[in-house]
Amino acid sequence: MTKREDRIGVFVCHCGLNIAGTVDVQQVVDEIKKYPGVVHAEHYMYMCSDPGQELMRKAIREKGLTAVVNANCSPSLHERTFRRVCASVGLNPYRCEIANIREQCSWPHTNDKETATKKAIAIIKTTIERLRLNMMLTPLVIPLTKRALVIGGGIAGIQAALDIANGGYEVVLVEKETHLGGHVMELSATFPTLESPRDFLIPRINEVMTHPNIRLYLNSEVDKVTGYVGSFSVKIRQKEKIVEEEVGAIVTAPGFELLPREKLPVFPDDPDIVDGLQFERILSPEKLVEGKIKRPSDGRVPQDIVFIQCAGSRDPEHGMPYCSRVCCMYTAKQVLLYRKAVPEGQAYVCYMDIRSDAKGYEEFFQQVMSDDGVLYVRGNVSRAFRDGDKLKIWTVDTLSGKSLEITADMVVLALAMVPRSGTRELARKLNISVNEHGFLTEAHIKLRPVESLTSGIFLAGAAQWPRDIPDTIASASAAASKVLSLFSRKELLHEPTTAHVDEEVCSGCGVCVPVCTFKAISIDEKKKVAVVNEALCEGCGSCAATCPSKAMQHRNWSHRQLLAMIDVAGGGYV
Amino acid sequence: MNNKPFIKRALVIGGGIAGIQAALDIADGGYEVILVERSPSIGGHMIQYAEVFPTLDCPQCIMTPKMVEIAQHPNVKLMTYAVVQKVNGSAGNFEVEIFQKARKVDVKKCTGCGTCWQKCPEKVSSEFNAGMAKRTTVYIPFPQAVPAKPVIDTEHCRYIHYQQYMAGKREGKKPPECRICEKLCPVGAIDWEQRDEIIKEKVGAIVVATGFDLMPLSRIPEYTDDADVLNGIQFERLLSPSGPTAGVVMRPSDGKTPKEVVFISCCGSRDPEHGVPYCSRVCCMYLAKQALLYKHAVPDGQAYIFYIDTRSTGKGYEEFIQRVVSDGVLYLRGKVSRVFREGDKLSVYGADTLSGKRVEIAADLVVLGMAVVPSDGTKGLLTKLGIAFDEAGFVVESHTKFRPLETSVPGIFVAGMAQGAKDIPDSVAQGSGAAGRVLTLFAQSASADKALAVV
Repeated sequence: MTKREDRIGVFVCHCGLNIAGTVDVQQVVDEIKKYPGVVHAEHYMYMCSDPGQELMRKAIREKGLTAVVNANCSPSLHERTFRRVCASVGLNPYRCEIANIREQCSWPHTNDKETATKKAIAIIKTTIERLRLNMMLTPLVIPLTKRALVIGGGIAGIQAALDIANGGYEVVLVEKETHLGGHVMELSATFPTLESPRDFLIPRINEVMTHPNIRLYLNSEVDKVTGYVGSFSVKIRQKEKIVEEEVGAIVTAPGFELLPREKLPVFPDDPDIVDGLQFERILSPEKLVEGKIKRPSDGRVPQDIVFIQCAGSRDPEHGMPYCSRVCCMYTAKQVLLYRKAVPEGQAYVCYMDIRSDAKGYEEFFQQVMSDDGVLYVRGNVSRAFRDGDKLKIWTVDTLSGKSLEITADMVVLALAMVPRSGTRELARKLNISVNEHGFLTEAHIKLRPVESLTSGIFLAGAAQWPRDIPDTIASASAAASKVLSLFSRKELLHEPTTAHVDEEVCSGCGVCVPVCTFKAISIDEKKKVAVVNEALCEGCGSCAATCPSKAMQHRNWSHRQLLAMIDVAGGGYV
Repeated sequence: MNNKPFIKRALVIGGGIAGIQAALDIADGGYEVILVERSPSIGGHMIQYAEVFPTLDCPQCIMTPKMVEIAQHPNVKLMTYAVVQKVNGSAGNFEVEIFQKARKVDVKKCTGCGTCWQKCPEKVSSEFNAGMAKRTTVYIPFPQAVPAKPVIDTEHCRYIHYQQYMAGKREGKKPPECRICEKLCPVGAIDWEQRDEIIKEKVGAIVVATGFDLMPLSRIPEYTDDADVLNGIQFERLLSPSGPTAGVVMRPSDGKTPKEVVFISCCGSRDPEHGVPYCSRVCCMYLAKQALLYKHAVPDGQAYIFYIDTRSTGKGYEEFIQRVVSDGVLYLRGKVSRVFREGDKLSVYGADTLSGKRVEIAADLVVLGMAVVPSDGTKGLLTKLGIAFDEAGFVVESHTKFRPLETSVPGIFVAGMAQGAKDIPDSVAQGSGAAGRVLTLFAQSASADKALAVV
């Protein structure tokens, strides 16, 4: 690589006040105009907007630019936008680089405009030095297997599988249990209509079982996943047997379970203290002998029943810090079903806040609360214990400020929802991330809610976050739509800014292999050199930083480029 | 049953975040999409916000790439300043009439240079700034508008008034002829002759993503109509760097920095008597976010939030509320009975149900978390589409639990706030979900066509 005589253009974005409120953009432009090789520099309110992009196109055409620096937000936001602009006027997109002067400059230095302005200039200069040595690259083309894997046969997995299968592609559906339906199958009825979920689920399950596009593996688990978007190779363990399937995309929907009771010692192990799912079984039509609810210990009809909300939710000390989203509503439904079955009974609900925040939910909750046989008490429960034939519950009514003792026949705990056990291991096999509680992490919490950060792997249902049935189905259809979009393409393109090995220099020491989070590097035992699978490489640079002999280099982030950047980085501060 | 071919082309109504997502996913799936938006730009309400919870991302930053993608996508036909006025037919064969309002600007000639809207002398209330600032009558709603081509607001344009005066009885004062935009436009793009048009299109599926509005303040007479009593969207504009005060928090009445700000949740929500019976789902979180952003802007200020129940059910939301509380925002559990002006201050009468005491706060600014209602005109549109809606005007799904994206008419789907109050991630997921249903329908129609041919 030799230094070309580049004609460089620099475009500085105000990002409203996000940058311009701290960085003096006029001064930056004036200073950068003097820098060697820069033939054009300007600033604009929002460079990512249509008129901003047009300014770039105009300058590239009229000034004959051969390299472009965009000084704005993080490259994760607009690198693609600006590279597309360059490509649209015939400039190789890899001749465009981002100088991050927002997240790495204006935001952390809001109180020091002078330093922020100097730093912005320095960041742009380093980017220019790097850009001078950039290669012109073209994206890699990778094969695309138009066949999907769906993990989990609950309501989310069923919906995703059917949508993809009806979209015309083959689906491999893997379910741990011996049957489909997940937790929804265990529910007695769903609010607000009080219909049995089976009425809906059983026809859907039959559709899955008989669908010509769906291959179903029950009693099975994903054992190993290799490959990348477009070409995943999946080993599925079905008892002792291992089968292998090739797929191009994966929808992950392993679902949830309830927080184990033993995490909450305040609620003793007692047959008459049950969790929400156990109570669903007690309420189920086939268990309701003559329409009667019976308590587990002695089969008597409970006359006083206490429902405890937030058992382990919103409780960072003993349980989980988050809200489990569905408990307020399913408890209200259980109260209603209890009162229907035991008209002379009294139900108490201990709660912190009522969260009936979706369509029709507030109205449903109001209907339940207005029943004379139902008392909502706002406060946390401090103890529940057995006293002879009865259970005693100590709580407080925060609205009157008084302590209360409730004597009950039965207690139902709305235990926190947690990811299904094994989700962490599954995520590790898929190479996708989970948050501190083990829920699957999406690519962007606001705008990319069903994508994982690993290309080709999508998320659906309660494994991502506690959510109710309609939201689960919407997320599953959304994940399916991402798969259908992916499969509608003729070919897949991959970023060419990957690591590559100089085989002359590489000694095959293997230090780079374990540092690669994408499992993209292996050792060629014959040649004794490292080999990069470019389709898997996401260009993070860990291997290049680790390589003791500098044999591993990153395209357009070479050591030479980094040194050139360091040379000018400190210049503005002396 | 008809035997016309199944048209694999979709119509998305509404250019907010749900409609944008639905249109992009269908387009990425390989099918043509017509996206119809009634205002001059896509972006919807989301683009008005200062920052979004819980990550405090700026929507300008995260949303404009999607808006630009809509404009550049080869499969998307974008029609702004247009409304759907008639729909006939059924899944696979909808005939749609779209009313394209005259922009009075030739978009082929216009370069979006901005001369016209910088020089137009007539100023009216800006919709984008929720009435907190003025805009000109030839305008783009906001700097990142897509398309970035202006429209002439014929209701307020001086020359249009002049033309009407000259053509009519010529009573009263003669308006000025103006035409400044026309004189200054360097490319001659102003086109007074441009007329409203009716454009007919055929599509196989429709996604309704018409979004929401806030309930008008006038529905709650106990909260006074005052320059310093704002609704949630107005306060977003006041917090926004692209807003009328460039992000400096000041009282609209006198420009002073507000030191005591009261945020009131459930203004019209969960209130069947004055407002609506349902919960608006997003207010707890956006008021918490606004209180936090206010604290960032005015560190020595005090924010109070009146609430009935805090509803922080999304991912990272409960943790966000805890952060807001620990940053010194005071939560008061109770309703506010009255807000009225007393000299320089606004008196807020409320109750703290946890201490059982009455609370009176002398505030500089009051922000109301007004109930979310379907956007203006939704019922009329839904009637034209022939799909069922509830009393409030939200689209009724074909099954509340198990078919949340389908409407009562096959081939018509729903996404976002048009279905019920929800936040951005849920709107995006529904947008993608509705797109998924459309893609599946189009794929299935291939085999259905074959089956029909056999019959």
